[in-house]
Amino acid sequence: MTSKLTYWGTIGVAAASVVAANPAYAAGTTAGASITNTATVDYQVGGVSQGQQSASNSFTVDRKINLLVEEVGTVTTNVVPGQTNAVTTFQLTNSSNEVLDFALAATQITGGTAAHGGTDSFNVNNVRIYRDNTSSGTVGSWDAGDTLVTFIDELAVDTPIRLFVVADIPTGLANNAVAGVQLRATAREGGTAGSQGAAITETTGANTAAKDTVFADTAGVNDGSRDASHSAADDYTVQTATLAVTKTSRVISDPFNNTTNPKLIPGAVVEYCIAVANSGSAAATTVLINDPVPGQLTFVGSSILLNGTVTSGTCNADGATGGSYVAPNVSGTIATVAAGDTRTLVFRATVN
Amino acid sequence: MKIKAFFIALATLAPTQAIASNQVALDNSVFVERVTTDASGKERVLLEEPKIVVPGDRLVFVLNYRNAGQQPADKFVITNPMPSAVRFAGAGDTAQLVSVDGGKAWGTLDTLTIMQPDGTRRPAQPSDVTHIRWAFQKPIPAGGTGKLMFRGVVK
Repeated sequence: MTSKLTYWGTIGVAAASVVAANPAYAAGTTAGASITNTATVDYQVGGVSQGQQSASNSFTVDRKINLLVEEVGTVTTNVVPGQTNAVTTFQLTNSSNEVLDFALAATQITGGTAAHGGTDSFNVNNVRIYRDNTSSGTVGSWDAGDTLVTFIDELAVDTPIRLFVVADIPTGLANNAVAGVQLRATAREGGTAGSQGAAITETTGANTAAKDTVFADTAGVNDGSRDASHSAADDYTVQTATLAVTKTSRVISDPFNNTTNPKLIPGAVVEYCIAVANSGSAAATTVLINDPVPGQLTFVGSSILLNGTVTSGTCNADGATGGSYVAPNVSGTIATVAAGDTRTLVFRATVN
Repeated sequence: MKIKAFFIALATLAPTQAIASNQVALDNSVFVERVTTDASGKERVLLEEPKIVVPGDRLVFVLNYRNAGQQPADKFVITNPMPSAVRFAGAGDTAQLVSVDGGKAWGTLDTLTIMQPDGTRRPAQPSDVTHIRWAFQKPIPAGGTGKLMFRGVVK
């Protein structure tokens, strides 16, 4: 095993040195380059060396337009309703043999299956495309230092760059709602820094001896093969809390039966349990519960228990003392109701 | 695209009769190898003129030689440096020698090694080939012809 590792290590070093020696060929011979092959013959006649003969031919390397747009990562981007600057990440590679510009287009799908299996059910707002700034900020992740772009200028061959499709999520969305987005890049003529180059056309009809253009790209999610474009898809999935509130009550005691089979007569103590169940995929935080006490009841001071639990649908009437009462309202804040969890606010009142 | 051979006589001051009467013709052509699959799934290999050539294309270089002189040509050696933008991809069963160091040392590919930066040597790979050479053991008789070929890939 050691020798194998050494072998691969040395191959790697050799390959690196070859690249360093011929940088122009790292991504394929540059379009327009001429390749000349020359053969020579040396021979003797009657033991005497004769003049060397040679023969050559040459041809021009044509322009191969190829590009790749890929989603980075294999999971959806989880978002919450109302979130701004929700990010999906893509990568663009110029696999052509020439430096080119690339026009960019971020689009949304309407219905249908999104990139990670969900069904598209809403559209995001304010869709923008950013190019990762690899010299400052958080390299590889979207941050304020990244550049808002509509095209990529003079992209070197075989040097992947990271692109972010950034959008705002509408409010009022249901848990697990999905929005599919797609990013398409289209090769444009390079050569003029600072502005987007003209559209590229494939050489059709008769071949020429000069530099021709051949489209060699594969089909993407919203473009065909050999059209100088490529595209990939990603999606946003809403992860939010879905809260349901139930209120139950039970009689704790009355002045005559005390706690044995108490009845709802004046002076009886009633315990109310307000349960907040979260059936969504995200925790709900700072859940404020407010409950006006009916006029026929009198709130029992300091009887509020917060953040209690429920077992098999039955209120456990547990929790920590807290909350407040400002007539006629009982109120309290539960810090967190985790996804799938139920938390309670419990208080007592007497019947007038 | 096939370019007819052009000849360069390096020894212009022909001092002997032998040179004046002897002429070896060499013709060098290149084709692009295209593999197509027909309706029945059968692969067909076509050799096309190199009009559209892009990186990754497979090339077939063909060398035709002919002894156009009146006497046999002895110690007949054909040398072909690889174009820098073409990676050697074999020369079939023609008994060729190759060089991986710019034409200094020659041998069959499996006998050659490459010096690495750390001073050790590794076996040479087809992509290391810088020159190909065919050295004929027997004289080429007057009027004798032959064809040699090798493959390459556009880098």
